[in-house]
Amino acid sequence: MDKHYSICIGRKFGSGGRNIARLVADSLGIKVYDRDLLKTASETSGFSEEFFEQADEEKTRKGWRSLFMGHLTTHGMSANNYLSNESIFNMQSDAIRKLHEQEDCVFIGRCADYVLRDSDRLLNVFIAADMDDRIERICRHADVTPRKAQSLIEEHDRKRSSYYNYFSGRVWGDPTYYDLCLNSTTLGYDKCAEIIVSLAKERLKI
Amino acid sequence: MAELKTPQELGTDGIGKLLIRYAVPAMIAMLASSLYNIVDRAFIGHGVGPMALSGLAVTFPLMNLSAALGSMVGVGSGTMISLKLGQRDHESAQMLLGNSVTLNVLIGVTFGLLSLVFIDPILTLFGATDVTIGYAREYMTIILVGNAFTHLYLGINCILRSAGHPNKAMVATIGTVLLNTFLDYLFIMVFHWGIKGAAIATVISQVLAFIWQCYQLSDKSELIHLRRGTYRLRGDLVRNIVTIGLSPGLMNAAACIVVLLINRGLLKYGSDVAIGAYSIVNSIAFIFVMMVMGFNQAMQPIAGYNYGAGQIHRVLRVLYLTLFFGTLVTTLGFITGEFLTDFCIKIFTDDPELTVIARRGMHLVFLIFPLIGSQMVTGNFFQSIGMPGKSILMSLSRQLLLLIPLLLTLPRFFGMDGVWYSMPVSDALSVILGFSLLIPQVRKLKVIAKNS
Repeated sequence: MDKHYSICIGRKFGSGGRNIARLVADSLGIKVYDRDLLKTASETSGFSEEFFEQADEEKTRKGWRSLFMGHLTTHGMSANNYLSNESIFNMQSDAIRKLHEQEDCVFIGRCADYVLRDSDRLLNVFIAADMDDRIERICRHADVTPRKAQSLIEEHDRKRSSYYNYFSGRVWGDPTYYDLCLNSTTLGYDKCAEIIVSLAKERLKI
Repeated sequence: MAELKTPQELGTDGIGKLLIRYAVPAMIAMLASSLYNIVDRAFIGHGVGPMALSGLAVTFPLMNLSAALGSMVGVGSGTMISLKLGQRDHESAQMLLGNSVTLNVLIGVTFGLLSLVFIDPILTLFGATDVTIGYAREYMTIILVGNAFTHLYLGINCILRSAGHPNKAMVATIGTVLLNTFLDYLFIMVFHWGIKGAAIATVISQVLAFIWQCYQLSDKSELIHLRRGTYRLRGDLVRNIVTIGLSPGLMNAAACIVVLLINRGLLKYGSDVAIGAYSIVNSIAFIFVMMVMGFNQAMQPIAGYNYGAGQIHRVLRVLYLTLFFGTLVTTLGFITGEFLTDFCIKIFTDDPELTVIARRGMHLVFLIFPLIGSQMVTGNFFQSIGMPGKSILMSLSRQLLLLIPLLLTLPRFFGMDGVWYSMPVSDALSVILGFSLLIPQVRKLKVIAKNS
């Protein structure tokens, strides 16, 4: 059995996944790795953080730009290019594995569930929410109109899903790949966190 | 390079030593493929005749197109497999291998069949005439029948490289060249099968190379091997392979248009013989271009790693060194093209008419060759440091954006010479473009290096 456990949280944009992750981590007394992961990856690889930011889950290019700009060089040449998205993803995965060996973690996104798939102390969760609720949340946080919020949501969800599907070969948000799928609109953040914590305690033998 | 760890040596060892160590295997593979062209053309030129050489040259655009489809699948699946192996996800890597085999067979057979059906109109479009179409058809028919094997052989070689067996890929490449040389001699010189002999030799050597590859990949102890149950196409895998492979494929397909324009220009303002002359000039130029590409391949990991690690002075050092070697290689090309002209042409033909045209072509095409090396290195450098946009602009400008308009206009004023002029003129313009992009970039890097 692995020395440490990890809880991987996938989330739809604006569903409050990060807040829930914080609540879970606080209740278990462990650390959340969101964007901090990029910093860790940068430290373990010796590569500057900006490269990890460029290749991060919501930075992937879309449409024709990805065809001509992204793929030719950053994808096509990955066999010997250390700055390709694939190579950066592999370095980031090494950081995820290293953290999992060193401490108990909550990971947000970044295919951590796939990277750690061989671990026997892993809990995979997906957080969704009703569209109206997500729009309202984004309006509040980003100070935008509901229309704009909706298009932001669609864009970010598309990027997250194409990042996840590309690197993991799984389907983002497909219940098959998660132990638990929760709706934060109907359950509320606290209840979601409570369910995750209690399941984690039971399943991960904390 | 299946598991792209970050080897310490890239950040510490001497740059010169690293560059040579990475460049030698890359150059051997590159030289092998340019040798392949030379051998084929030399046997056809001497053993069959100058018109056969033109007939062969007429088939190049079609061969480019086929190679474009092959490289699409090869690069796409190679990239995906190395990603999956990096994640120790052997199951997915296995599926990708099986799927790429199926895709290659499907695309290879479809392309082969379609081209066979329309073979005469296609060849006429590419510049065949009554004199040359016989040779072109005879050659291409056999090549197209074996087309699926060509795709399989090239595709699996890509995969072997990505799956951590670059040496096996190299053995396959060199083996094919040697076998092809021997069979060319046997079929053309001994059996007198004509241009058909060259095609049969090509197909047989690729089929045998493919069988050898299958043998290598059937070892069950290998991380990835050919296995039943992996050949059924899966939509998501095919989509990933195709999107990744699409732009390298399109770049290769663009080469097809350029060769088509060159062939047609030479035919319109010159003769069938001129097309054959182009195939000679092209073979010689190819050697040096491929050698520079070998250095470029070696520069990529060194520049990319050090750029990522913030060791900018090492990035600049590898850039300067590669610029030096690239220029050295193309200067050698210049000397060969301008001063050893007749020696080079003699490899392919003794025909006086063909020699005269090829000599003129070589003298013009190699005119500014010493500068090309730096242009190619610059383009690749941008790619190494994660600026694909500039890199694509550089390679498109020399081979496409500048060349196509020149090929369409210059011959109107200068006749056949105009076709030849297009190449050095487009080269010169793209060298200027290259330097105007590179110099500001180097300045920026120097500032970063000083501040760190």
